[in-house]
Amino acid sequence: MAEGYVEYRGLKKSFGATPILHGIDLKIDEGAFVVLVGPSGCGKSTLLRMTAGLEGVTEGQIRIAGNVVNRVHASKRGIAMVFQSYALYPHMSVNENLAFSLKMRKAPLERITDAIKGAAGILQLSPLLERLPAQLSGGQRQRVAMGRALVREPAVFLFDEPLSNLDAKLRVEMRAEIKALHQRLATTTIYVTHDQIEAMTMADTVVVMHDGRIEQVGEPLAIYDRPENLFVADFLGSPAMNLLDGKVVATDFADQPRAVEVTDGVLLPIPSEAEAEVGQSVVYGIRPEHVQLVAPDAGEPVTMTLVEPAGWETHLHADLKGISLRILSVERVGAKPGDKAAILIDPERVHLFDRATGRRL
Amino acid sequence: MSLSAVRDEPAPTAAERVSDAARLTVPYLLVVPGLLFVLGVLGYAVAGGFWLSLHETDMFMAKTFVGLQNYIDVFNDPRFQSSLWRTIVFVIMSIVLGIMMSMIFALTLYHVGFGKRFFRGMSLVPYFVSGIAAAIMFRFVFTTSGGFVNQVLSVLGLHQPSWLGDPVLAFIVAVLANCWFMVPFATLILLGGLQTVDRDIYDAATIDGAGAVQTFFKITIPMIKPMLGVSLIWVSYISFSTFDIILALTAGGPQRATEVVSMYMYQLAFLQLDFGQGAVLMVVLLTFNTVLSLVYIYYFILADRRHGREL
Repeated sequence: MAEGYVEYRGLKKSFGATPILHGIDLKIDEGAFVVLVGPSGCGKSTLLRMTAGLEGVTEGQIRIAGNVVNRVHASKRGIAMVFQSYALYPHMSVNENLAFSLKMRKAPLERITDAIKGAAGILQLSPLLERLPAQLSGGQRQRVAMGRALVREPAVFLFDEPLSNLDAKLRVEMRAEIKALHQRLATTTIYVTHDQIEAMTMADTVVVMHDGRIEQVGEPLAIYDRPENLFVADFLGSPAMNLLDGKVVATDFADQPRAVEVTDGVLLPIPSEAEAEVGQSVVYGIRPEHVQLVAPDAGEPVTMTLVEPAGWETHLHADLKGISLRILSVERVGAKPGDKAAILIDPERVHLFDRATGRRL
Repeated sequence: MSLSAVRDEPAPTAAERVSDAARLTVPYLLVVPGLLFVLGVLGYAVAGGFWLSLHETDMFMAKTFVGLQNYIDVFNDPRFQSSLWRTIVFVIMSIVLGIMMSMIFALTLYHVGFGKRFFRGMSLVPYFVSGIAAAIMFRFVFTTSGGFVNQVLSVLGLHQPSWLGDPVLAFIVAVLANCWFMVPFATLILLGGLQTVDRDIYDAATIDGAGAVQTFFKITIPMIKPMLGVSLIWVSYISFSTFDIILALTAGGPQRATEVVSMYMYQLAFLQLDFGQGAVLMVVLLTFNTVLSLVYIYYFILADRRHGREL
């Protein structure tokens, strides 16, 4: 089997008696942009810090470019890391910050000057070189932190929630900048975030983590369209997927021999290929944007409970015989709380999960 | 729409005006008692001391104005000159040793994991012991016959010097006792400084390939510079003004080997009852302390690059 450029084999980590990572196996191709995403405490930052050499390995292997690096010092792994707090040296100018790692390596002055010039050019830092970090804006500091990573010419870039401290507008800008930088340099990148939008928009491959385990690995849209389990289904997507407890029942319709009863008398359609048996307890998943609003008598009747117009889309909450449903419409919906409407669900858009195991059916 | 259309806010009522005025003045009023207290005690003493230094006093405290005569006399006094030099050496040795010890203790306490609170608490104990008590403890430790140090040396079969009888050794013991007293507080200040440094910065330095020594000198020291400045002020001030420790340890002896300015000031003012010349020495000590503190404040605190300020 082909080796990954960065590879984790049976990687475990414990802090004292507390296990943090329970055995991570993952291959990352050279030049890939991989995003580790998951809620806080899922172990994604620990995995990144272990890759950087800032945390030891309890069990298993980390390999970079074919070599086991478990015991290789952080500065010799060929990685560069961008921290959430930027971690710029506050008493050094931008120039000194960029030069620091090369000076530590005793690089010749000429090489240092060239590297700074190159990085400053790419990140538009040239006018800021003499400034101190305190004299920079958040976005500028972020770019300096990236510049500091850049001058090292690393084999792997590690980003630890680099955009969390920026305001929403700047975050969108920097997201694009980081992606553009990756397209330009094609350096293998591992990027940690808890923000699913960052994960979806930036990654070639998304790794969804939860409780120290990998839940699913795949291309962003593939994961979004086919979450393998309840956790992934619930975690990815905003507003989150509707997840309704129900039971598979037989129907009288020839084209829909099975459906899921989510509450007394409410039958919702399921995909024909779903491997679910009549009588099985399931979780019925449907994304808010896949719930279609229709005229009151054209589908399953609902009552509107809350309308949130966002401008470019409308978030609606509806009551389906005691079950609360989230609906997302890309159009402006003139509904008011209390209005009657009906919904239609395309069975091909439905995700069905086993209630006991949480696995996709 | 004309501007006048928006000016419909009613004029503030009397009660609102009073409350606005109170909001502005109360903070200042609250500072006044503290300020008066400091000015009353410290300001009065300093001004009084300075006034006294311009007078000649007899044993009944009758004052005669003599202008700067006391200053001329003191600066020409060889005993003052040697006590001043001794003080400067004492202060330099205390600063070097004291700051080094404080830094080592602060770094140790910063990194200690097990029993962190216990060790941090214990490290402050010497600070709570009075200078006199500390000096008496040091006398027990360094007494020539039966002192702890000489007993250890005798067990090891080594020469047992007369610690407090030899001028050079007594001076060194005085420096040690002074450090023992002032290091805990300086340690606490430096520890506070170390704890403000974002751990990510150390991680970044590790990845950048900085070793322990480079990290200490290129990252830690510049990052805790303001705290280093504050502990330098503390250490210098205590060392310049040290009196009780030396009084109880050596009383300025042997052969005036430990007679620092504050000891001589005590000698002049309270034993020879020459308050005017004693006050001159107070002014000298105050000047040294103030100038040094200003230098520290300027170089270590005001010129802090972390806040985007450079000299």
